Amino acid sequence: MKSPILGEFHPPSGKPHMLGSIQRIETPMHRFSEAEEVDYVIVGVGAGGGVLLQRLARAGFRVIGFDAGPFWDTERDWVSDEKGAHNLYWNDMRITAGEHPLAFGANNSGKGVGGGTVHWASFTPRLHPSDFSIHSTDGVGVDWPIPYSDLKPYYELMELELPVSGPSYYPWGDPHGYPYGAHPMGGVGDALIRGCTNLGIGVSAGGPVAILSGSRANRPHCIYRGFCIQGCKVGAKASTLITHVPDAIENGAEIRPNCMVSRIHVGATRRVTGVSYFDSDGRACFQKAKAVIVAGYSIETPRLLLNSACPGFENGLANSSGCVGRYLMAQAGNVVLGRFEELVRMYKAPPAHALTEEFYETDPKRGFARGFAIQTVGPLPMSFAKQMMVAKGAWGWGLRSVMMDYNHWAAFGFLGEILPNADNRVQLAEEKDRLGIPIAKITFNLYDNDKKLIEFGKNKTMEVMWAAGAQEVVQEARYAHLVGAARMGDNPETSVVDQFGRTHDIANLFICDGSIMPTQGSANPGLTIMALAARAADYLIAEGEEIFKPRTRNIRKPPMRRDLSPPDTWGHGMPRI
Amino acid sequence: MNSQTERVDTRPVNTRTGKPIGPISQPGYYPGFSTLAQQKFWDAKTREVVLDRVINVPEIRFFSQQEARLLEAICDRILPQDDRDESHKIPIVPQIDRRLYENSHDGYRYEDMPPDREAFQLGLRAVEEIAQHEYRLGFLEIGPREQDRILQSLHDGKPSAAHEIWKRMAVHRFWMLLVSDCADAYYSHPWAWDEIGFGGPAYPRAYMRLERGEAEPWESEEKRYQWKAPDSSVSGVFEPVAGQAEHLGSPGQGGTH
Repeated sequence: MKSPILGEFHPPSGKPHMLGSIQRIETPMHRFSEAEEVDYVIVGVGAGGGVLLQRLARAGFRVIGFDAGPFWDTERDWVSDEKGAHNLYWNDMRITAGEHPLAFGANNSGKGVGGGTVHWASFTPRLHPSDFSIHSTDGVGVDWPIPYSDLKPYYELMELELPVSGPSYYPWGDPHGYPYGAHPMGGVGDALIRGCTNLGIGVSAGGPVAILSGSRANRPHCIYRGFCIQGCKVGAKASTLITHVPDAIENGAEIRPNCMVSRIHVGATRRVTGVSYFDSDGRACFQKAKAVIVAGYSIETPRLLLNSACPGFENGLANSSGCVGRYLMAQAGNVVLGRFEELVRMYKAPPAHALTEEFYETDPKRGFARGFAIQTVGPLPMSFAKQMMVAKGAWGWGLRSVMMDYNHWAAFGFLGEILPNADNRVQLAEEKDRLGIPIAKITFNLYDNDKKLIEFGKNKTMEVMWAAGAQEVVQEARYAHLVGAARMGDNPETSVVDQFGRTHDIANLFICDGSIMPTQGSANPGLTIMALAARAADYLIAEGEEIFKPRTRNIRKPPMRRDLSPPDTWGHGMPRI
Repeated sequence: MNSQTERVDTRPVNTRTGKPIGPISQPGYYPGFSTLAQQKFWDAKTREVVLDRVINVPEIRFFSQQEARLLEAICDRILPQDDRDESHKIPIVPQIDRRLYENSHDGYRYEDMPPDREAFQLGLRAVEEIAQHEYRLGFLEIGPREQDRILQSLHDGKPSAAHEIWKRMAVHRFWMLLVSDCADAYYSHPWAWDEIGFGGPAYPRAYMRLERGEAEPWESEEKRYQWKAPDSSVSGVFEPVAGQAEHLGSPGQGGTH
């Protein structure tokens, strides 16, 4: 057996908390007492919660970030192994129902500090300007309470903070460039580029992805090992765990991991007073806070609001509109698989490395509203086997035989916009979890526009795969991502929060995650969630103590704070913004 | 009707030579390729997790002996390993048993399905009932082709018996649960990675040859041979699950994008 020249690989000696292969947490973490009334409790330290926690801590607020899962040490806890990554996902039971039920777990939800950004493939496209007014222009869905221009500076800032690698000119939506250089292609990217080019379709090679193409500070560049969605041990792929949480701790924030918040409490003045939670030993605890920000994503956020029902808020908190849990969205995410005569070896390179948004906007000729993107994906053997089970009906010797051809297959992900519908929703089930908290039941159906869009997009994606030179093309219907279920809007009768994530009903209760998005476009939601969080943070910081006083509720755009970014954001890369 | 006493060759056949394949230590087109031989290049945690999977095969704790034997026979058809020698068969039932014993799952359950533990127990009963209905014998007593036909009927969503059980859970969902669990156990094992030429863990060493399907210096080139499923099997062909309705809600949804 051959050995590495310098010996076997061992984790660093001593027991530092590692976040990626180089970065370690040196700062002891502040611990607030439960009796102490902190300024903010954030429930869920994922894409939204992580960014917000870091901003609020830097601005000097006393803030605690609760997470139901662990505070990962990436060297000790994570593996380069598909099955071994199972604990990164939200594996508590949920009931899924409807004619076209969603899958959860690995598909769309994280548990632990960093949340879903720990296992996202990290495609980070922006929404297009058209996404913010689809009701006005296409007569479907709903308009956002803000235009693209309000979010644009925050997109630019997040693209620097993560940072995002991609082409220096990205042609779709609001054309822009990326601060870090595009990644080299893997076999799947080659196929997408070949297919698109043969059909005259524009394609973006090497990004946008939140994966370092060059080293930066205490993070090395990508090593193309392909285990992005099993957690990046390298530290090249951005997650709020490694990009924002260390700076939050450095600035006095507390992370309270393995703590499941079960209820938000409301006091006599119809303001929230703190949260009940179960700590890592299952002990019931209470933390006082001047304000609470829920950042648990599209299932856990409505679940917590509904489970917090109390006298005066019988239908759940912030639910006078009846919209909590409603307008849940997933993106259509069919996987199209093509077999090639030549070898592909799709396990190498990040699954996310090339895409096209050529079909993103509404085209009246197609007979449906809105559109879709086509992206590279790189299923590892376990996922691929199950895709073959569905897409080809493989089992037995058939499964063994098609799996022996694993290295000949490439996979594209179709990413299509499903429109919001009030009946696609999160409710509470009768069943309870191990802590006695009612679990979520999710009902999901596809409607006419969705079905037409999926049919067209699936066929177009298959056409690209054929054009790439595949000998055989099959597909599996599935979904990707979640957003909605606590949407933002100007009208308190049809939305849950305002444009800054403040609930219409309770002045010191906020929501800051994907659940506030009124529509989803065909862009992966992570970057948008982070941009919304940075914007919400600027608002909270600008309002300062006003947030904690009764009766004040301003809707005024805050000045943008470029001085609150984590260290090493500036002076790196070559931004073209 | 076949019975256990009749000798049926269950090995796949090399179509060039016409000879059965195996039993051998490593089927597939990458002879000699070994991911485990690279373990010193893996990080310590990954090495620990993967080696544990290979070395420590869990005991049966959830299923009864009888259930375990029946499930073993089913898994032998869903992921047949007749081309592998005894010491290189990949354990499947122990992995399923461990998952159910620990009540580990993927974080959701379809409304029309019972919890996984119950689903497996019901499913095993149903398979046995179908065998009795079709052949008046237990599933363990019929031949491989007959066993395959019963499994094929689940795959097709058209089981001939146990209708009481199928009222309590959808056939295609049980089928996908069963095949998924088998696939998870088989394709999470490094011997299966060697069989299909998957490079396996690559941290901290990295991959450097990304394009054109090129092998790393430590990977193997593909050496293809043509083969087919044995005549004793019906699973060598591809047909859509249950006629492939759109959005069956597949358990394969995990982990792509």
